[in-house]
Amino acid sequence: MTMSTTHENKGFWHRFFFSLDHKDIGLQYLITTMFIAFFAGIFAMVFRIHLAFPDYHIPLFGIIDAKEYNILVTNHGLIMVLWLSMGILLATAGNYLIPTMLGTDDMAFPKLNKLSYWFFLLSVIILIISFFLPQKGFGGGWTLYPPLSVGDFGYNTPYKTFSDRFFSSNTFVLLAIALEFVALLMGGINFMVTLFNKRAKGMGLLQVPLLVWMIVIASILFMFSVGPLVAGTFMLLLDINAGTGFYDASRGGDPLLWEHLFWFFGHPEVYVILLPGLGILAEVITTNARKTLFGYKFILVLVLIATVLSLMVWAHHQFVAGVDPRAATVFGILTIIISLPFAGVILSFLATLWKSNLRLTLPMKWAMSAIVLFTILGGFTGLHLGAALFDMYAHDTSFVVAHFHYTLIPVVIFAGMAGFYHWFNKFSGRELNQFLGNLHFWLTFIFFNGFGIPLFLLGLAGQPRRYAGYDHIPYLSEGYLPLLREIATISAVILVLSQFIFIFNFIWSVYKGKKVTSNNPWQSTTLEWQTSSPPPHGNFEVYPVVYHGPYEYNRPGVDKDFLPQNQKI
Amino acid sequence: MNTTSLSKIAWNRIPQARFAMWTLIAGEFVIFGGLIVVYLLNRMKYPGWGEMAMHTNVVAGTINTFVLLTSSFFVVKAHEAAVKKNVEKVKFWIWLTILCALIFLGIKAYEYTHEIHLGFTLSSPALLEQGKHVETLYWALYYTMTGLHGLHVVGGALALFFVMRNVAKTKSYFHRIEAAGLYWHMVDIIWIFLFPLIYLIH
Amino acid sequence: MKIFPENVSVYGDDIDFLFWLITIVAGLATLIVLFLVIYPVLTRKKHKAKENIYVKGEGFKQLKWIYLAIFVMAVADFSFLIIESDGWIKTQETLPEKDFHVAIVGKQWLWEIIYPGPDGKLYTSDDVKKFNTMIVPQDAVIHMDLTAYDVLHSVFIPHARFKFDCLPGRKITRWVEFTKSGEYPMVCAEMCGVGHSRMVGKVVVLPQEKFEKELAKIYKK
Repeated sequence: MTMSTTHENKGFWHRFFFSLDHKDIGLQYLITTMFIAFFAGIFAMVFRIHLAFPDYHIPLFGIIDAKEYNILVTNHGLIMVLWLSMGILLATAGNYLIPTMLGTDDMAFPKLNKLSYWFFLLSVIILIISFFLPQKGFGGGWTLYPPLSVGDFGYNTPYKTFSDRFFSSNTFVLLAIALEFVALLMGGINFMVTLFNKRAKGMGLLQVPLLVWMIVIASILFMFSVGPLVAGTFMLLLDINAGTGFYDASRGGDPLLWEHLFWFFGHPEVYVILLPGLGILAEVITTNARKTLFGYKFILVLVLIATVLSLMVWAHHQFVAGVDPRAATVFGILTIIISLPFAGVILSFLATLWKSNLRLTLPMKWAMSAIVLFTILGGFTGLHLGAALFDMYAHDTSFVVAHFHYTLIPVVIFAGMAGFYHWFNKFSGRELNQFLGNLHFWLTFIFFNGFGIPLFLLGLAGQPRRYAGYDHIPYLSEGYLPLLREIATISAVILVLSQFIFIFNFIWSVYKGKKVTSNNPWQSTTLEWQTSSPPPHGNFEVYPVVYHGPYEYNRPGVDKDFLPQNQKI
Repeated sequence: MNTTSLSKIAWNRIPQARFAMWTLIAGEFVIFGGLIVVYLLNRMKYPGWGEMAMHTNVVAGTINTFVLLTSSFFVVKAHEAAVKKNVEKVKFWIWLTILCALIFLGIKAYEYTHEIHLGFTLSSPALLEQGKHVETLYWALYYTMTGLHGLHVVGGALALFFVMRNVAKTKSYFHRIEAAGLYWHMVDIIWIFLFPLIYLIH
Repeated sequence: MKIFPENVSVYGDDIDFLFWLITIVAGLATLIVLFLVIYPVLTRKKHKAKENIYVKGEGFKQLKWIYLAIFVMAVADFSFLIIESDGWIKTQETLPEKDFHVAIVGKQWLWEIIYPGPDGKLYTSDDVKKFNTMIVPQDAVIHMDLTAYDVLHSVFIPHARFKFDCLPGRKITRWVEFTKSGEYPMVCAEMCGVGHSRMVGKVVVLPQEKFEKELAKIYKK
């Protein structure tokens, strides 16, 4: 890897263990996240193949039974939501880009930063260990609802003594989650203090690139929403290991309590994921549209409103769960309202595109697809689910699965890839192969939709989710429904396999890709592009002074079509 | 190249350690807030809970409250000393704070021993046998909330100890006394909430 | 092309109508979004004067289109809410007078159906317990008391557009009314362990006289 730093002469392992440089830590997060997400992707392929072709012997897995199915589905969800999404969008992007975009040398607390990575790595290791404990993995759904998550799911594994229960997949998955939360909390504190304290001279808070704001607001939202779930997780661990009955109705407890504590975090969590994605889109769109961001302040205000609202909508996951239906009405109203600020943000991005001299580069293709897919198939189906009466029918069907894949994948994968393809040359000093990049993009776009659209139709036909098979159920095995499952499965398999094109491109280009001839091939205005690729240890030979906002493209009175932030007019 | 060269490449005024600590404190409040909400909801659901609180040792709880309040006073004195860069006084006041923490933990251990002896544990099998299912939830919450708080007392005391030792060795990093002190105040405030809710509810 | 299973519920039309309404409105919005994305791509090579394209998006004049769009969306959204509130109150907050009362207990991994017995009252000593098949009369209001024995379950009857969770330790009453005789699947819609996909029961809806005959048969056994 041609990462030039003053640690140049130190080996890979020395840097892995001892480097406090935020860029190294960001890349460590990237690799660790991609490693565990690889498994989550394989899990998805395996269980989807099982659903459409139940008699097929899957290589390395054989024929899946219901117990294995539940473990695969559960861990696919857990890994993708809790490790991949935040690992890429918060930890990797935040660590690598925040100090560089702010024009400073490193995070406010580099040692705390390194510690946060160790916690993250430990959480991944504990998660992997959970697959080798007697239960072979946690199989109660990524939402971990008790009483199911307190017991051993009917697996008939030893579960009587304290030792049985402590060394169970249940306990280990919860510990992994708790450790990961600690890592993200530490990271969040770092991001926040860095934004407020370590900006370049002349960079006011309203001249900070939107991505940095988005990551910091997301981190603050994470910090505030995760508290009750930490308490709840602690209580769930006690229910499993210490015989308490917090969620046991026969002991005065209540399973609904977990649902509330979980979703109080769970809903803001999706905005913790969405906000950095939107931030990446802002950076990629402005650079490639050669146009200033439309409504920077407007977007910030909308996002802050949405952030506050996000703490008040959680029970739309519980419309038919046994909460008071009058409360459901209130949550339904707030859910509908929260769609409005995000509509405003998306419209601002679209206004940025309007009448622009846009360049259809690879990052731009990813970015524009992200907007289209997220808004149309993700956002609008949220209206269906937010209408409680329809949710009564659609809840826990494949319609919900399609909805959240259309909100999460465009944000994590499409916007994530937009960012990756955009900043690859910055962190490696080389270019990604364009042909492979285009192949990756088109395959992902086509086959993601090939997976998602059938799933909407299957959900409307009344197909419940988290089922290990449908062929024994007549109303789900007639007509074109099996065909829809097959199309979704084949598309999902190709979708996952297409990502290997990306992994190959990534690794090959890091070592053999064409070296960039410029620090700023995209001709972008933000500060990370005004230093070498990759930036040196400390980021800048001379620390930049900022004279204006971060998106001065095609500014009247300036000859070039872009004006870097550290250049006077 | 690390962050102690702050003055060269940052020009903002918010002291970092304090800012970070306030953020951490906010996060901790949400965690304990969650537990307190759970406690209050259950209390409203089961009015008979008051009976269980009678088995807590109110005298011990009251003494502990004064111990923590006094320790907070000591930590303020330590901060005063730190501002004046007086290493000896810092050590003196921090040691007194840690002593208070140890007294607190000792009294708590005494309480726990007594309550466990009476059959009140996290799962309280004795109560279950008597058919008092709902009452077991009170004790589960009691141990969870006070136990988690106790862990924070231990953590806070350790933090104060290591920070003090570092100050004594290097004769600098005095600002960390304030940060650790803030954390200690948080531990104190959480107890101020827990004590009436858990001990005095009837 | 059939999207939904056949609707045999008195309130099913409300639900299906709500779906189509939202879909059509979203469809219109989709066309607008697609236009706003595709048109800039198609017209991208044209040179634009800097004065025209350096638009910061500040001030009412520049933001007015977005304000308008948000306003229109808000109106549409609130219309959805108003339209669905009737149906929500009807299905969740009111219980029309019952013609038949039955209890459903979700258990790992089957449905226990508890009939009220010859006295017509549930929770009395003559209740009859059956498994997985629930017979009910057509064109009658059926109250279902939902609970669970062990973990969370959820009763989902797609043809009735009905779903509600079964919680251990809680009894929640909801109602349905079937408009057509037939056999309709009843599946579990909350993850409950390895047998989750095997909890397939059925609701057998019979015209009144046939129903009474069948019920008498059940009570005799």
